Amino acid sequence: MPKLIIDDREIEVATGTKVIEAAAQLGISIPRFCYHPALGSVGACRVCAVKVLEGPAKGIQMSCMLEAVDGMQVSTADREAVEFRRYVIEWLMMNHPHDCPVCDEGGHCLLQDMTVSGGHGLRRFPGKKRTYPDQDLGPLVQHEMNRCIHCYRCARFYQQFCGYRDLGVLGIGNRTYFGRTAGGRLESPFSGNLSDICPTGVFTDKPSRFIGRRWDYQRTPTVCIHCSLGCHAVTSVRYRQVARQEARMSAAVNGWFLCDRGRYGFFYASRADRPRQAAIKGETAGMEEALAHARSRLEALAPAAVAVIGSPRSSTEVLALTERAARLRGWRGPAFFADVGAALKVKAAVSRLEAGLAVSLGEIDQADFILIVGADPINEAPMLALALRQAAQKGAGVWVVDPRPVSLPFEFAHIPTAPKALGAVLGRLLRKSIEPAGLDGPAARFHASLPGDPASGPELPARAAELLAASRRPIIVCGTGIVAAEWVELAADAALLLRAAQKKAGLFYVLAEANAFAAGLLTQLDSTTDRVLKAAAEGDIQALVLVENDPFATFPDRRLLEQALARIELLIVLDYLDTPASRRAHVFLPTQTLYESGGIFINQEGRVQYSAAAFAGGTPVRETGGRDHPPRVYGSGLPGAAPQPAGQLVARLAGEEIPIDIRAQREYFSEQASRLAGLPDTERLPPDGLRLALRNISAERFKSMLPPVPAAESDDIEIILTERTFGTEELSTYSACLETLEDETFAGVSRQDAEALGIRDGDRIAIRTENGAVELAARVCDNMAAGAMMIPRLRRLPWQTLGKSIRRRDIRKA
Amino acid sequence: MLPKEIKDRLEGEIKHVEHPRELAVDVMFAIQDHYGYLSDEALAEAASMLGMTPLELDELATFYTFTFREPVGKYVIHVCDSVVCWMNGYEPVRDYLCRKLGIALGETTPDGLFTLLPVCCIGYCDRSPAMLVNRRVHGELTPEKIDAIVEKCRHKAGKEVARY
Amino acid sequence: MNDTYPQVLFKNRHPDRIATFEEYRAGGGYQALADVIARWTPAAVREIVLNAALLGRGGAAFPAGRKMMTIAEDAPHPRYVVCNADEMEPGTFKDRVLIHADPHLLIEGIILAAWSVQADRGIIFIRPEYENAARILEREIGIAGEHGYLGRDILGTGYSFEIVVHRSAGRYICGEVTAQINALMGKRANPKQPPPYLTQQGLWERPTLVHNVETFACLPHIVQNGADWFKSLARTAAGAGTKIFGISGKVKQPGCYELPIGIRLSEIIENCAGGMLDGSEFKACLPGGASTGFLPRQHYHVEMDFDALKKVGNRLGTGAIMVFDHKTCLVAATLNLMEFFARESCGWCTPCREGLPYIRELLARIEAGDGEPDFIPRLEEMKVHLYRSYCAFAPGAAAPLESLLAHFKDELQEHIRERRCPFNKEPGRGSAELVKPRFIA
Ligand SMILES: Cc1cc2nc3c(=O)[nH]c(=O)nc-3n(C[C@H](O)[C@H](O)[C@H](O)COP(=O)(O)O)c2cc1C
Ligand code: SF4
Ligand code: FES
Repeated sequence: MPKLIIDDREIEVATGTKVIEAAAQLGISIPRFCYHPALGSVGACRVCAVKVLEGPAKGIQMSCMLEAVDGMQVSTADREAVEFRRYVIEWLMMNHPHDCPVCDEGGHCLLQDMTVSGGHGLRRFPGKKRTYPDQDLGPLVQHEMNRCIHCYRCARFYQQFCGYRDLGVLGIGNRTYFGRTAGGRLESPFSGNLSDICPTGVFTDKPSRFIGRRWDYQRTPTVCIHCSLGCHAVTSVRYRQVARQEARMSAAVNGWFLCDRGRYGFFYASRADRPRQAAIKGETAGMEEALAHARSRLEALAPAAVAVIGSPRSSTEVLALTERAARLRGWRGPAFFADVGAALKVKAAVSRLEAGLAVSLGEIDQADFILIVGADPINEAPMLALALRQAAQKGAGVWVVDPRPVSLPFEFAHIPTAPKALGAVLGRLLRKSIEPAGLDGPAARFHASLPGDPASGPELPARAAELLAASRRPIIVCGTGIVAAEWVELAADAALLLRAAQKKAGLFYVLAEANAFAAGLLTQLDSTTDRVLKAAAEGDIQALVLVENDPFATFPDRRLLEQALARIELLIVLDYLDTPASRRAHVFLPTQTLYESGGIFINQEGRVQYSAAAFAGGTPVRETGGRDHPPRVYGSGLPGAAPQPAGQLVARLAGEEIPIDIRAQREYFSEQASRLAGLPDTERLPPDGLRLALRNISAERFKSMLPPVPAAESDDIEIILTERTFGTEELSTYSACLETLEDETFAGVSRQDAEALGIRDGDRIAIRTENGAVELAARVCDNMAAGAMMIPRLRRLPWQTLGKSIRRRDIRKA
Repeated sequence: MLPKEIKDRLEGEIKHVEHPRELAVDVMFAIQDHYGYLSDEALAEAASMLGMTPLELDELATFYTFTFREPVGKYVIHVCDSVVCWMNGYEPVRDYLCRKLGIALGETTPDGLFTLLPVCCIGYCDRSPAMLVNRRVHGELTPEKIDAIVEKCRHKAGKEVARY
Repeated sequence: MNDTYPQVLFKNRHPDRIATFEEYRAGGGYQALADVIARWTPAAVREIVLNAALLGRGGAAFPAGRKMMTIAEDAPHPRYVVCNADEMEPGTFKDRVLIHADPHLLIEGIILAAWSVQADRGIIFIRPEYENAARILEREIGIAGEHGYLGRDILGTGYSFEIVVHRSAGRYICGEVTAQINALMGKRANPKQPPPYLTQQGLWERPTLVHNVETFACLPHIVQNGADWFKSLARTAAGAGTKIFGISGKVKQPGCYELPIGIRLSEIIENCAGGMLDGSEFKACLPGGASTGFLPRQHYHVEMDFDALKKVGNRLGTGAIMVFDHKTCLVAATLNLMEFFARESCGWCTPCREGLPYIRELLARIEAGDGEPDFIPRLEEMKVHLYRSYCAFAPGAAAPLESLLAHFKDELQEHIRERRCPFNKEPGRGSAELVKPRFIA
């Protein structure tokens, strides 16, 4: 641990620390452009110059390139260093346009800050400014090359950090250009970070152009709810409009970045068509009137004839109050998951994620071997792919066992495996790579019960077993989308077994939705959406209360849904989205989004995180005022501020009149879910959230079942409904800017099946179902397991009519 | 599309090396010699042979002096403007060429025959002023010598046109 | 002239043609290799090179033996030897002449260096303008291979080594070793600051030894004749060997001459280059390429040696002497050099990418008669700041500017005072033409 002196102050830092970071630890901020903690040092901009008074290389040195060593003495304020830094600024400003007043980076521009603080106020350079043409980079990122100061951050981030290869460095010298070979949308689903990472205004946030400037915004720390990872964000609101979202640094979760789904998924909150008024039978009504009406109708029914359906997109408060309401009234539910299978998987993940095993997203890069079972990171939880890449860059082997043609932005190995065989492959791999000697009782017995290589059937790549055997810090990443509950359990036992074999093994589940973890804690297995709907279709239920759930978007059986809705007498919908369900509601009650109510979400590793309310709600000023300038309305109260937190509304539906404060809400759910007990106040949550101290459930250890792989190939093709980065996650489908980024509709089939079925890549095929034929393009995938068909859950595709499997003869060329 | 024999030769060479990228310049030169310059299509073709994306190859194509991303004439004349040639008459040579070809530096003659570009020291300072025509050097330039070189190119191009 | 100065590297040089393989061998060529491979340890080769005090001829003058010794005996394979034949430093053309004179001298030198570090593969990195030289080398490498000097199992010793020629597409920065390694790997040729050093992690992250053409060419002679002999070739005590000087500019006989290290500048100009052109007086010269400073008249008799030039605040560089006469404006010459450096800057770091065009602009205005007195202090400041760049490129660019300010400031001031170039007979050249950057991307 070297000790050094910076500006006459001593500090001891970890070996390998750069002087620029050592200074930061003393609170001394050395200017920088090219240096970024996530991207490292490259010494390009030269603005971090300091003077080394004592040390291996004296004189002016770049503090980002300079490793702190014992006895070093550094001055950041030395005249020579300051003079040089001034020149660097002057050089960078030679060609920089003086467009700060209209530049979208103005107010949070590093170059602006440095120019002002460095005192370069007057232009001395007599020459002309260099200019560049700009490119259209798609709907998310605005390009303005003239502002470039050539710090290379964008290209380093885009290519090295993210692994995408369509944006880079062109030209040479002071004609160097950062962009693409030709204009066009950026391929990386992490492209939005360019606007965060660019120290000037070359890359700015396109959807938020002309809405406001940094200092205009109400900026609030929030948590992203567009997948189960719970990345940290900063939300900017102006004039009651959610305008922009940026990444918020979190060492434990997302690091410095966000994916584009998370960054641009917020538009549902301020859409013009967002329903902000209560309604009875489609007619606008006051909130109190609608509530009273709904309540009286519910009270007229036998409690058993009322069912409640919620969803894992709601905050924990909403889930807990919904659960409490149902319990108080004796209503059925709440159902949070579509069917028992889905609920079981999440329950399994929640119950098996014991404290010693769980790893955070931020810890992924420390792994030396990662086995991914039944998860498609880039589509299900994009930031996971970025974390995996960092691990792979450091040398970790990444292996994917999945039926789908998973793609990742780095080199990895893929074992295409039918969904039914995922567990068997995992089991065989474990058996092969772990020596039974040295395992204690339960672990040894479990190891012995694992399947060996079958006499026939696919051979497992020996390399995978070798790498796993040699690894010291392996991580099992297990999905819950296409994976059976048994395999979710098996993944936990796998991690335990690796632990028993003296490895520092970790377990990382990917869940299907933002708050699936909390829903998993609170759900009852006997009330799932399909059961409720079946009961409704059979006439056993007369009223349905949908709390922030649009079954038209999420429920996989459209026919059952329609039958149920046709049969019930009363549909009450509480939501902030304009959905088919809310449009059909007999009583509609508008709810607040997370940006207005705030709330707790528990991510897939059991990390409890509070997303603060970003504003009080209400219709964006730009809408209320028509096109007036300045926009204005007259009246008292906030226009469009009727929505209330869904939790409060359900509680009131259930007959509780007292307004419920945050603390009380928290009590409700901790009283219910014993494992949440001891949850601190949100005010006391540390910045990175708090991982639930999940207790070990030793009774369940090493008990996962290993049903044999179904031997006979069935004639049916299994439907695998899959997520896409854009277009399947419910909330972000309300963002207009993401629409053009959505995938084409397609049906993915393996080459083997395609040949058997006589289809070629790009052919249009018709799939016959009970509800009529579905037509779409076939995508023949080399790296896909046979016997399965991959269908993205895109809105444009009636995937809810397809069922779980199709007979081969029902698939034909259209 | 690249003729099969060029493509086969390049692919053979690429197969031969451990890291295809190391042949990027060779492949760009071969393709440029065929097409005249690295059009977007040519670049994409070269990139796919090398296992690179077009952007990755473009990062190199736009870096170097002798890879052209814009159309150039059949003969690219690079006039050395570095210090020795400068001191020994670069400016008159340049002006003479501009007048003779009727173009400015950086331009191509309307008949598509000549492109005139400045270039830095080409390592023929002992024979300055010097220039390159399609990467072949010509030194100790005088107006007469320039006339002869230009005429020879015109003549050769004329013959080729006639042959087709 | 050949009688006056011992010819070592040029001993097989013919005025009109390339020395053949047979000629090379008849003059004792490949004997050093045969001896070394049969009887010497690799360490012995490294040692003799160290003892010979051979300084790199590519411009940086780093002791070649010391560089070789930084490749550890147990370093991983494959190891690479790279011959830097980029030679894009303005004024420099010695490597071209050497390759055209006696290609096998270079080939044998590369193999000797390879043996000394037990390298597996050699690469000659050559600039595109030297296509003829590239073809010569490819042909002669083939011949050397046919005779068992290259390829598998060289001379039956079990040692294998091959050489390939890598063509560049042309950029001065590609001559800088770390940039060259990037270029060889098909990456943008930006330099890369050590650590790791190339001899530890160079090409494809393997140990890599890079030398200039002329440095390699010295090796067969050192091995054959010994370190002391090599040192004795020089005229100065500290110097060692001969040096190929390329002389150009206002002299009667520009060209390449092999001369002892330490020979006086005046002797080179008067004896070898035939003296100044008629009507020309020596004003200054760049003694070792564009990234050395103007050597003024007062050092006309300086000994052309690394040390001696350092003493007068200059560098021997590549030994490319460019002679300016009293009729040449050194402000305009510096402007031309800055134009070169600004055009060729790789664009990685700010002082070079932006500072050089800034300097260029100021000089262009001064030359065109639009200069202001406060340009001079700015030039003074920036010339210092150029040394704070990422690689040695910008410091190289600083050298001529620095010497202009040190020795010819009055010339600069006169331009500003008179608002015209005193050397320009026709006034009114106007700034428009000069101030416009002439480079085309
Ligand atoms: C900008 C720049 C350009 C260079 N160009 C060349 C070159 O063309 N040829 C060369 O041999 N060395 C060149 N060098 C020097 C090399 O970096 C390196 O020192 C040399 O090749 C090592 O060989 P040596 O030790 O045999 O001299 C250049 C250095 C810089 C900074
Ligand atoms: S000094 Fe900087 S910009 Fe110039 S060549 Fe070196 S790294 Fe590139
Ligand atoms: S931050 Fe150190 S050189 Fe840019």
